[in-house]
Amino acid sequence: MKPPKFRYVAPRTLDEAVDHLAADPDAKVLSGGQSLMPLLAMRLAAPSILVDLQHVPGLDGIEDQGSSVLIGAGVTHREIERSDVIAQRLPILSSAVVHIAHPQIRSRGTFGGSTAHADPSGEWPTVLLALGATMHAVGPRGRRTIEADDFFVGPFTSTLAEDEILTHVSVPTTRTAWSFQEAAVKRGDYGLALVAATGIPRDGQLAEARVTVGAAVGSVRRLTDVERLLSQGPVTDALAQEAAVTAAASIDPISDIHGNSEYRRKLVASLVRRAVRELTNGA
Amino acid sequence: MSITPEERLDVSMTINGRRYRATVEARRTLADFLREDAQLPGTKLGCEHGVCGACTVLLDDLPARACLTLAVQAEGRQIRTVESLADGQELNPLQRAFREQHGLQCGFCTAGFLMTATALLEENPTPTREDIVETVSGSLCRCTGYQTIVSAIEQAAAEGQTDTEGEDQ
Repeated sequence: MKPPKFRYVAPRTLDEAVDHLAADPDAKVLSGGQSLMPLLAMRLAAPSILVDLQHVPGLDGIEDQGSSVLIGAGVTHREIERSDVIAQRLPILSSAVVHIAHPQIRSRGTFGGSTAHADPSGEWPTVLLALGATMHAVGPRGRRTIEADDFFVGPFTSTLAEDEILTHVSVPTTRTAWSFQEAAVKRGDYGLALVAATGIPRDGQLAEARVTVGAAVGSVRRLTDVERLLSQGPVTDALAQEAAVTAAASIDPISDIHGNSEYRRKLVASLVRRAVRELTNGA
Repeated sequence: MSITPEERLDVSMTINGRRYRATVEARRTLADFLREDAQLPGTKLGCEHGVCGACTVLLDDLPARACLTLAVQAEGRQIRTVESLADGQELNPLQRAFREQHGLQCGFCTAGFLMTATALLEENPTPTREDIVETVSGSLCRCTGYQTIVSAIEQAAAEGQTDTEGEDQ
């Protein structure tokens, strides 16, 4: 359980960090390392170089920009957990963060690292897709932004290029109705199923609903059938029940040692039902 | 690129108030640095991939898994290990509470629990039982069933006096 050999560098600027990534396709970014280190220990990853971002300035900070909050990629889960700006402007993040592993992990693991890692069991991908967040990246071809819908494309796969670094995530605060639900064997374990739902309360209805599922289906994706349903009426228990049935019918869950496909389908249905019931919270 | 990536690097950090320096492989974990290079074997290694919590130490006063941190990431930082708690043979109040409440049997997980609890009590001197349960959920103990560990931390909190300053070893 010792990591394989690699070289290490801790650049002092973002440009330098990008140069190192561009110079070697097997170089990997090291942020908090809370997902990367287990992969190294189990020899599931063998990067040539680790480019440690801990001394790169400008990746910190949680900034309230009105209709969105700009979160630095280097912000730790712990900082999110303790942030007043997050608690007031993006309470869904406060709700989700306590599901991320344990305090000893949350003090080291970072928001950007977890997002870029695109683990389908990770809380941030499911939440950021439900919020329609915008990723800010920098690479040798300059800066660009990537919408969450175009960012998470498969298990552990984002559209971030190998030589690009996620620097910030811009998270809209306009989706004031929200819910995050997770089912795990025990608190802090990888979730068996994650569901996030958001919307904009408007005239007693829910506008622009977004509902996402993580973990259970092997990737992070939107449940567009459920989203369409939610646009059709006020949020009631009956609608929540219908949403659960629709969700169960629209997914093909994975089976593994932790839970088979049918079990996970029931989990997702239950979580969707609970999530939709909670969507009256921002009205 | 002004800095060249290296496979071996000079690392120095402050552990329990004392400066340590060594040339190590980039892949050396903080846990191995503490145990092998700094000769402080109080920090235990269980799973070595971040699940069991036995290797928890304080990194700049925050609890961290020493097996999920590279020694080079701790360059220039302050580390506290279980060796910082007792004053010679004199246990600190948290350690005493673990003994009095039978918060350990085999003891392999204890260093991790003690450091996790130390961080909790420094941030929140009056935790609820629920706060304590949430905090210690990051460590595995196969002997006690956890209740005595939670009681020990409750006792230390009630006594209100954890020895929070790392003593020079």
